Amino acid sequence: MALFEIRHLTFYYPDSEAPALKDVNLSVEEGEFLVVCGKSGCGKSTLLRHFKTAMAPYGKREGELIFDGRRLTEVSVREQGARIGYVLQSPDNQIVTDKVWHELAFGLENLGYETGVIRLRVAEMASFFGIQTWFMKKVDELSGGQKQLLNLAAVMAMQPDLLVLDEPTSQLDPLAAGDFLATLRKINAELGTTIVLIEHRLEEVLACADQVLVMEDGAVLASAPPRDLAGLIRGNDMFRAMPAPMRIFDALKGTGKCPVTVREGREWLGGLRRTGGADPGEALTAPSAPEKSALPGRSGQAGGKSVMSGGADPAGQTGRKSAEKPVIELRDIWFRYEKDLPDVVRDLNMQVKKGELFCLLGGNGTGKTTTLNLIGRIRKPYRGKILIEGREIGNYKESELYGALLGILPQNPQCLFVKDTVEEDLWEMVGKKHDTGRMDTVIDQTEIRHLLKSHPYDLSGGEQQRAALAKVLLLDPGIILLDEPTKGMDGFYKQKLAGILKGLTREGRTILMVSHDIEFCAEFGDTCAMFFHGSVAASRPAREFFMGNSFYTTAANRMARRWYPDVVTVGDVVQRWKDADGAPGSAGMNPEADKESGSADGRYGV
Amino acid sequence: MGHFAGYHPFVNLVYFVIVIGISMFFMHPVFLVLSLGGGIAYSFYLKGAKTAKVFLRGMMPVCLLMAAINPLFNHEGATMLFYLKNGNPITLESIVYGWGSGMMMAGIVLWFSVFNEVMTSDKLMYLFGKALPAFSLMLSMSLRFVPRFTEQIKKVSQAQQCIGRNITSGTVPERAGHGMKILSITTTWALENSVETADSMKSRAYGLRGRTNFSIYRFDKRDRGLMALLLGSAAVLLSCIRSRTLSVLYFPVFTMNVTSPVAVLSYVLYGLLCALPVILNVLEDIKWRSLRSGI
Repeated sequence: MALFEIRHLTFYYPDSEAPALKDVNLSVEEGEFLVVCGKSGCGKSTLLRHFKTAMAPYGKREGELIFDGRRLTEVSVREQGARIGYVLQSPDNQIVTDKVWHELAFGLENLGYETGVIRLRVAEMASFFGIQTWFMKKVDELSGGQKQLLNLAAVMAMQPDLLVLDEPTSQLDPLAAGDFLATLRKINAELGTTIVLIEHRLEEVLACADQVLVMEDGAVLASAPPRDLAGLIRGNDMFRAMPAPMRIFDALKGTGKCPVTVREGREWLGGLRRTGGADPGEALTAPSAPEKSALPGRSGQAGGKSVMSGGADPAGQTGRKSAEKPVIELRDIWFRYEKDLPDVVRDLNMQVKKGELFCLLGGNGTGKTTTLNLIGRIRKPYRGKILIEGREIGNYKESELYGALLGILPQNPQCLFVKDTVEEDLWEMVGKKHDTGRMDTVIDQTEIRHLLKSHPYDLSGGEQQRAALAKVLLLDPGIILLDEPTKGMDGFYKQKLAGILKGLTREGRTILMVSHDIEFCAEFGDTCAMFFHGSVAASRPAREFFMGNSFYTTAANRMARRWYPDVVTVGDVVQRWKDADGAPGSAGMNPEADKESGSADGRYGV
Repeated sequence: MGHFAGYHPFVNLVYFVIVIGISMFFMHPVFLVLSLGGGIAYSFYLKGAKTAKVFLRGMMPVCLLMAAINPLFNHEGATMLFYLKNGNPITLESIVYGWGSGMMMAGIVLWFSVFNEVMTSDKLMYLFGKALPAFSLMLSMSLRFVPRFTEQIKKVSQAQQCIGRNITSGTVPERAGHGMKILSITTTWALENSVETADSMKSRAYGLRGRTNFSIYRFDKRDRGLMALLLGSAAVLLSCIRSRTLSVLYFPVFTMNVTSPVAVLSYVLYGLLCALPVILNVLEDIKWRSLRSGI
């Protein structure tokens, strides 16, 4: 029997003509892992809020909600509180108390359990989630990932049968998000808890999902196991959000079982090559040959000499973009927050050229954001020079620096807004000058005309980012610094943002962005740099950069690198396959691949 | 933080009430010295060299100030030493009283600094929660809210600085304007976020009848023993004070109780009480050392 069933649910928000949910039918089986996806504003959050009466939005509602054989409204608040767990998006806002142990006990206190029972449950949860080490800490001291794990544990302490999660990883970095999703998988597999999850990092989550629900404009577009999904939503915008192996499978008109993970994609592509006409013998030698010749070139030399010199000595780049003067130049920068603390930025050398989209990638706590703050003069290095357009940063007046020269978007774009509507906020920026022409250009450029009357806080993450960008653009800066602009954005908004950023670079503006988003940087970045341990470990044109990495690279590259070491995006893989297909016999691909990796060696080698 | 802080918060609280209460309301010179000595020892145990800072910056000035000021304004007492220019007498008693109250203040400052170290917000909240459950949750929530709010203000003003809205430069009205804007938007931000916090509380069944208060403390046998000891010695000391076995009078002439055996015993008892945390902690340290050498 289904644990939760939705029958013909239609929902209207107050004062709204169009339904937010249109005749949604859904059945969640006991122990199932259901992933819900769709563009922002498609109604997926509204749908999830119906899973619990306390969370249900106000408005007109038709249809039936059945939980465990009863109508949801007939299930008491107490029972709903205990049996249906709900985890929201923001790690911070959900935490109620100031101590980890107190937060874990909060729900159980509400249900009126005795101290002895709470102690046991809290102990269980803390052990299951590995919280023991920070059990006594204040919640302020936790990282974002830990906070979200705490929220999950606090809900799990109430021992729910059904766990509902609304984009729980959107505010986390990839590593923490991976941990979180792994924990969810563990809960599902080991405790048998039913899970309903909204997620846009489909690459990681589809592998463990039993069922995927794709929504569009308040209605169900498709509902199927992940492997059958490709055929159902082909041609839809949402298809772009699917994992790379699935998109490649579809673009190459694959048959049989659809691959979801990189490993399956690799196996499938390998199988396809074997059956695709190539001699089996050759197909067997093919993988080993390029791999062997590639390995020393990649991890050996790239990890050794050229990596070390990548940032300090831009010899690799001077060939391509000669004599161009860098817009931003960092020379031997050292920085630490306090005298007794360790260095956060060490011996950093970096150059950003005019008109490029420069992506600074790297893990958490490596000093990326700090570097951005150094360039933005919010912090000062204790050694080294920062030159902007050839002039040292300290020599600029504040009014010169923040305006025509530098536009800085903080990690949380909300920090920029000070007014009640987007429009007022933009006018606040220009002040009395009333330059309507410039205003219109910027509004069109960032595509926010339909949002002008809204409160900045009511916008979705992607919209906020664009409104904040508009605000900064009104200052007409030559250089724009972005701190993780794609955080919490779905694929569709990322595309939009990429288009806007590309437009800006064409205008001759330089964009420096810090990001965790490998796929985004690979597809749209001009130059990518890997930040590690306070300094740039490698800085190269985007394509070269990702080709050279073996782990820190795109899913498409990881899947197809064996045969095509130079592919970076899904489009590349498909293109290469088709090219090779057109050539007389796909066996012709192997020497080509060899040549390719050979030339790559030449580029990175001595 | 030492062994004593590991006792049940209620025991900790009772201890501080007894020690601070007696040294506050009973200005017996012997007691003042004992209380000050015990306080210094405990503070030194907890904070080490930092005690010197507390001593020099907090206690010494208070003590000296009281000693110096009291004779200037207090002219009671029978033993006149000399007259001031305005004709007011300086008496021996008022000088002694000044020193006495100075030492009392110093002792209280010291004990409260130790109190702060031992009685963490958890413990206070637990104790409050016993009496007023709703207040304890509110306190916990505000302890979380205030640091977040200030952090957000910092972030917003930094972001504003980067678009040329610096609150540390410009004319005064401009700066005030920017400051107000930041404060108002941060308030909006806090309200906005509190909606989600409220959702999170509601979804975890907040608001049902019969909410309990969980704590990580348990009142065990050890706590009961120490509690009995504390209450017992408090009762003995108070009855000594009531029966005037222990007494002190500053005005008109400074008089103290006679040093009878009972009085001496109660001195010892109060001395032990003041040194109790340090004694317990040191005993525990020694136990650990012997345990370790046993391994």
